[in-house]
Amino acid sequence: MNYVPGTASLIDDIDKKHLVLLRDGRTLIGYLRSIDQFANLVFHQTVERIHVGKKFGDIPRGIFIVRGENVVLLGEIDVDKPCDTVLQQVSIEEILEEQRQQQQTKQETEKVKMQVLKDRGLSIPKADNMDEY
Amino acid sequence: MFRFQSLDDDCTLEEEDDGLIEEEDEIDQFNDDTFGAGAIDDDWQEEHKRLAELDERVGLGGGEVEGEVDSGGSKPGSSIHRPSSSVNPPLQSSLPPFGFSSSSPGLPPQDADDRAREGGLAESLARLILEADPAIAGVGAAERPRPSPSSSASSLSVLHSLDQPRVLPQSSSIPHQRQPQLPPGPITSGLPSSSMLSYQQQQQLLRRGTAPMGQMNSHNIWDNSMSFGPVSVSPGLVTHMEDSPLMSIIKEGGLPKRPPQGRSDEGRDLSERVPPPRSSSPVIGSPPVRAVPIGTPPKQPMSHSLNHQNSPLCRGPFAPRVGPVLSHLQRAQLLNSQVAGFPRGGPAPLLPGGGFRPFFGGPPPPHGHRMCPPPPHGPPSHIPVRHNTTHLHPQHRRMLTQRMQSRGGDRGRTGGDRSSRDPYSNLMTQKEKEWVTKIQMMQLQSTDPYLDDYYYQNYYEKMEKRQDKERDISSNSKKEHATKLITPQVAKVEHTYRPVQFAGSLGKLTVSSVNNPRKMIDAVLTTRSDDEEKREKQVWNKRRQILYTVEKMYSLLLEVQDFEKRFVQTPEEEREALLEQHKTNTEQLSSSLMEKEWDHRVSDELCVMIMSVRKGKRLVARLLPFLPSSQAAAVVMAIARNLPALAKKDKQDQVLGWLVEPLSPVIQSLSSSALTDLLQELQGGEGQLAVVLQNKFGVTMLYLILSEGERMQSCDPNCQLMDDNRWTELVFSVTRELLSVPASSLSPPLFTPPNLLSLFSRYVDRQRLELLQDKLQISASSR
Repeated sequence: MNYVPGTASLIDDIDKKHLVLLRDGRTLIGYLRSIDQFANLVFHQTVERIHVGKKFGDIPRGIFIVRGENVVLLGEIDVDKPCDTVLQQVSIEEILEEQRQQQQTKQETEKVKMQVLKDRGLSIPKADNMDEY
Repeated sequence: MFRFQSLDDDCTLEEEDDGLIEEEDEIDQFNDDTFGAGAIDDDWQEEHKRLAELDERVGLGGGEVEGEVDSGGSKPGSSIHRPSSSVNPPLQSSLPPFGFSSSSPGLPPQDADDRAREGGLAESLARLILEADPAIAGVGAAERPRPSPSSSASSLSVLHSLDQPRVLPQSSSIPHQRQPQLPPGPITSGLPSSSMLSYQQQQQLLRRGTAPMGQMNSHNIWDNSMSFGPVSVSPGLVTHMEDSPLMSIIKEGGLPKRPPQGRSDEGRDLSERVPPPRSSSPVIGSPPVRAVPIGTPPKQPMSHSLNHQNSPLCRGPFAPRVGPVLSHLQRAQLLNSQVAGFPRGGPAPLLPGGGFRPFFGGPPPPHGHRMCPPPPHGPPSHIPVRHNTTHLHPQHRRMLTQRMQSRGGDRGRTGGDRSSRDPYSNLMTQKEKEWVTKIQMMQLQSTDPYLDDYYYQNYYEKMEKRQDKERDISSNSKKEHATKLITPQVAKVEHTYRPVQFAGSLGKLTVSSVNNPRKMIDAVLTTRSDDEEKREKQVWNKRRQILYTVEKMYSLLLEVQDFEKRFVQTPEEEREALLEQHKTNTEQLSSSLMEKEWDHRVSDELCVMIMSVRKGKRLVARLLPFLPSSQAAAVVMAIARNLPALAKKDKQDQVLGWLVEPLSPVIQSLSSSALTDLLQELQGGEGQLAVVLQNKFGVTMLYLILSEGERMQSCDPNCQLMDDNRWTELVFSVTRELLSVPASSLSPPLFTPPNLLSLFSRYVDRQRLELLQDKLQISASSR
């Protein structure tokens, strides 16, 4: 609010820890270092957080540059506030494994559903270009 | 006669110089014509003569020539010769401060006493020649030491784009073999850097050779873009403006002004950000182009610090590939140390292995040596000497500058522990933040904020009102306004683009650029003469006409509606004008519905036509409140009269209901006779009432009328409703109709006024009343 009162601007968010949700479903957490007029974001010490159920895992990614059009949400993280204790952090391998399993079950149910629909003569076309979120 | 041609061009553009060049012997050294190929191949004297004559003919002498044109032709002995190769016209034009105006090619050498006066001129000349003429430089550059005119610094900005960062040894100032009279003192530049750079430009000119004029121009345009502006041409050039096609381009595109000396590095910096010059200049055939595209980030000011670093870095063959001299981490640490004010360790923190620097071919240690000494370079309070950091990586330089700035500014600021501990904070400089904000503000520019950003404006008004209220309540007289965003309000400027036209050329340009694309296909409209198509077209035309009329009326209506808001906004002086306009608008609006001959009767045709479209109905609904009462009454009459037709047309849309709301106040304001008339109209001809009753809106309207009549009768004892029997008769017929019509065809109204029962009780007997009650209740309950 400092620079452009009455509007929303990312200027005040610089150098703060943020969580960003991208259009492909990824969640990144990092320090927002720089922005531009398209809301392209430069993240520093980025970590990609994968959530599966109640577990999550962090994969350190380094420096990320996110094109503005791919951002769904962006929010500041309060580092002082105590973290959620409901979620349990696990190792990277474990979370990736969990994610793979989740994807697999999802695919299987989808397949079964399509088969059932086909049997009944219905077909729901898969929307190709839809964003994950 | 190619040579002659070029000379001609140059001649026309260089008029100013001529007088000065005469006295500047040093220019000769580099003069191709005197010592180089020109002297051998071409007889400059002959050409000189020819040019002098040409100039005379053209009429250069108009007030500007100092009577030396005549003698122009006869200067064989002069060692000074006007340089004939291409000199950049833009640089020419920035010479006006010197005030000379000689345009003759051949001036006699001026006297010694003039030389002192022309000291400044000498600088400019030297500058011109040096920077502009590759040929000259090519000949004499390498061998001779030159003096360093202070001008060279500014000329460097031109050449900076031509030559990417180079390491420049500290060469001696540009020596010049002047004639003994000329004191080198005033000429010598104070900055050693400029001499360095002049050496650089020598080198560059040597290598480059003769750059094509256009490219040079475009270079200049890109480089000096920050001070891009209209042409400020010296009077001497004016006479030749029309002649040269180049001048027309320059006029169109604008000449870059000479940037101030201190910005030579910025010019360099800018060039690193600006896209490379194009092979064909987009200026030709286009409106003036912003040399710096809007998206480019801000350039960084010269860094003041890390000069110690510079000197070691200067030595050695630094090629551009050694871009990032410092990695981010190193930089951050480096600068952090400066900020913190205590010296960090030796090379160790600066060289965390070779991991961050893949660019370096050589081993880190030599670089490390260079980097080691600087950072703890003493107390941060002293202002370091401003060394040349042009060869540094832009990121690096930016960091340095920013650190220097923040050092002064942030010292008192606590900013929280976090920011002081965070070595990567403020990677985005203040300038960059401002730049982004500026872009955002630019997007908010608007000529009519109520039009462009209606909801925000309303929101803001509400917020302010709320704040005022709260302030009143709290009875706190202190006015604390939340910071309000003041969006820039731009005056609407009509940009008419006229394509560039070269003088004397046939027709228009065939060059198409991104800014003026060429028409590729000629699409011609052909009409089909089929009969059927004609009929179809007629139908469509009619509809289009209706829509068009509706649109026109709508725009009038919107203006009328917005009048109040605008009235409050405009200052006192303009209010009257606005009021006048408002009156005309309303008049226009009301008259548009009227019939041509009869003043007080609404044109049925028009009315039905307009109301046949959904938008038209909406229009009328919105229009009614703004009409004067007589006209509103007339409109309502027309509606009643044409209700069957309207009902038919509305079958699909079913939006006549929109009319109910504006209709009721109009009906309620009617006089008794008017009301009676209205009821009569509604009943109209045979069977109209039946149709009316079938339509929801019709029934509603009927009820409204009846209810109003009843209200009149009950409230006002002097009511004239009963004076003639019309009303009574009409009501009778209505009741008859109501009773006779089967319940199924009776359409439920939108709402039922409560006093209908009392109305009917006046006119009908008990039995019928009960019947009516049933019917109406049926219709009432099925609301």
